[in-house]
Amino acid sequence: MPAAWERQIFVPDPHAWTSLPEQPILEVGITVLAFFAAVRLARWSGNNPFFNPTLIAIVLVVIAIDVTGTSYATYLHGAGFIQFLLAPTVVLLAVPLYRQTALIRASGALIAAALLVGLPTGVLSAVGIAWALGASKVTLLSLAPKSVTTGIAVGISEAIGGVPALTAVLVISTGIVGAIAGPVLQRWLRVEDDRVMGLAIGIAGHGIGTARALQISEVAGAFAGLGMSLNGVLTGVLLPLAMRGL
Amino acid sequence: MLEAIARVTVWLALGEALMRLGLVPVPGPVTGLVLLYLDLVWHKTLPDDLGRLADRMLALFGLLFVPAGVGVVAHADVLQAEFLPIVAAVIGGTVVTLLATVATLVLAHSWARRRKRTDAGGLGEADLRA
Repeated sequence: MPAAWERQIFVPDPHAWTSLPEQPILEVGITVLAFFAAVRLARWSGNNPFFNPTLIAIVLVVIAIDVTGTSYATYLHGAGFIQFLLAPTVVLLAVPLYRQTALIRASGALIAAALLVGLPTGVLSAVGIAWALGASKVTLLSLAPKSVTTGIAVGISEAIGGVPALTAVLVISTGIVGAIAGPVLQRWLRVEDDRVMGLAIGIAGHGIGTARALQISEVAGAFAGLGMSLNGVLTGVLLPLAMRGL
Repeated sequence: MLEAIARVTVWLALGEALMRLGLVPVPGPVTGLVLLYLDLVWHKTLPDDLGRLADRMLALFGLLFVPAGVGVVAHADVLQAEFLPIVAAVIGGTVVTLLATVATLVLAHSWARRRKRTDAGGLGEADLRA
């Protein structure tokens, strides 16, 4: 007869597997298929910024779960497997940064100037516009970290009294707008330095903007990743402190 | 390839641990990014496998945001009730941020160039080339 602690460890728990979704294949499959179709559509458009693959895939999945009557919780239970890959992929942004180390070291003043303007503008423009149009306080607090990458933004939102899940949606929307507006402005303003465009897209549109910047060039992608990371870390430290001071 | 995956996982796990222990106020992936970068700078080499892994995964970066974006259906009520302020803030705020950042850097560049022409001791061209 095994001791109690042995039983606890060695007797297989019949419920151990139920914490994992039984059919993540369905949710993961729908998401991957939607993104595959979205990328095809984007390529067909000649990578027109308005054909943003993330946006198109989201619309397709929303239609799919609406038609099948699936709840978001059920969908996320399975699709969480895809979301899980976000963390290691953010870590991998160190690679384009490393490849551009020399250029980054020579661009200290440029990077500092971009953050000095971009960080406060990102927070204040969103909160200011929503406040002027009569948004509620909870919405304002959820909007404040909208230009910051998802993982950090959700933490900030929680710390300052917003709704973290709402912030996640606002962050994704912001990234899509940044990924669309960035290249349009680049053509319109004839910005030739990929470092400038990369920094602006990364600071304003975090990871989704960075995904688009990586298509412009590796320099744009590296500076977007840098802008996103520095903006995320600095906002994560400064915004909760500023709110405590108010 | 396994070594590249292990390297990323170790720095990510350390980043997570530092955050959960309350030693660093930022999420694990951002600390992990910084740690992997310092690791690469320290070793001064980028293994082919790690480079390939990064290129493959970053090509799929946009896919990884889809599940969170689908969350729009879970917040349809708030979004409907405050549709105008939210849409205006997200679109307007993001465009204003892009414009302000780009304009600052372009102006700083032309200022640095003008200054360099009149005063050779000013900020270097490389510092503010935009």
